[in-house]
Amino acid sequence: MVEALIKRNLKTHPQLNFPDYKSSRLRAPKNKKISFSSTSTEISGPVFKKDIIGKLDNDLTLNFSKNNILPIGHKIIVFGTISDQFANPIEGALIEIWQANAAGKYLHHNDNNTAPVDPNFAGCGRYITSSKGYYEFITIQPGPYPYPNRGIEWRPMHIHFSVFGKSFGQRLITQMYFEGDPLINSCPMVNSISDKKAKQSLISTLDTSRYNTKKLLSYKFDIILRGTNQTFFENRKEGL
Amino acid sequence: MSDIKTVLDETPFQTAGPFLHIGCLPNAINIEGVFDNDLGVKPFANKHYDKFITITGSVFDGDGKALDDIMLETWQSDENGVYSPESGFARFVPNSLTKKFNLYTLKPGFINNIDGKAQSPHILLSISSRGLNMTLNTRIYFEGDDLINDPLLSIVKNSRNDVSSLIAKKIDEDIYLFDIFLQGDKETIFLDI
Repeated sequence: MVEALIKRNLKTHPQLNFPDYKSSRLRAPKNKKISFSSTSTEISGPVFKKDIIGKLDNDLTLNFSKNNILPIGHKIIVFGTISDQFANPIEGALIEIWQANAAGKYLHHNDNNTAPVDPNFAGCGRYITSSKGYYEFITIQPGPYPYPNRGIEWRPMHIHFSVFGKSFGQRLITQMYFEGDPLINSCPMVNSISDKKAKQSLISTLDTSRYNTKKLLSYKFDIILRGTNQTFFENRKEGL
Repeated sequence: MSDIKTVLDETPFQTAGPFLHIGCLPNAINIEGVFDNDLGVKPFANKHYDKFITITGSVFDGDGKALDDIMLETWQSDENGVYSPESGFARFVPNSLTKKFNLYTLKPGFINNIDGKAQSPHILLSISSRGLNMTLNTRIYFEGDDLINDPLLSIVKNSRNDVSSLIAKKIDEDIYLFDIFLQGDKETIFLDI
């Protein structure tokens, strides 16, 4: 359990009502949310133990492969750290990811895209962060794909992230994009965030320093979860 | 002031999209052999079943359509009002035919808040789906419980909101109904947690 969470700044988050994203029209609530100070309910939360994570859970190129056949596509590393709003790394955070395959197809009964399924790629992974808040996934570069919105539009390449920190109030679900993807700027889901810096923070950066050690293209995506009053005071003590 | 660190911006939310099962509940859509178990399938798995209740309901969009491509998550205390990190989390989806969800869990007890005041028994509920740019949060309270002094319900009342959308109706012995309305006249009260 942690101390009270600092108030969420909704200006750096997407608008719920964002008609350019058609699906939001019938789903986004119209009334303002009720704000209140954290109670014991929001400052506690489930903690997942490292023993739930299997050896291949963070390697999406192997965790669904049959007879050691690798999925089609560019193998990449996605890595980064999870910290709170005062830059304290968060150990023990559970990250779950899901994504389309290299052709832009999800292994899901509701995906109507005509691109092919890859029999060796499920597109799911999970990991629990180390003491420095570090995480790493090995996966396949997801493809962009068409979807019905205002007519047919194209989603930029992306990976979905779900994160559990130390408390339910820190819970975050988001998407990571790829540096240089020309589809990012026209994506209504990205543009539901009006703050430029916040938008930019969802775009992973190509990390060229890893070319020699990992021999794979590596993308860095750091995640910041809400801070608490306690971590604020801890930092202040250190600074004195 | 030099001792105060800058407050960084929280990473923004994005919609969980229509395919969230792949990452969060793969076994539920027959992606088998990747994760041993989906998380949150059985809250309080080690507790006695005779104390359990069922909470059932649907999530309706602005056209009054019951949705099934959503994910619900709950976080709650045990029957004594104690939060423990190992249990009390559940994750589930509505049945694709009936469009109803069923949560089989302990009824939470009165909860001591950090300020020493008691909170009435409740469950924190979150909803993620296509069309929701951020996860929505609300609370389930229970008809028949003493709700008069609950701090959050008082805040809701003081902002002149009707609290009834936050109270599950008792429809049978140990069975409660909690429908959620994303829009419209009956729009559920959502919380900035």
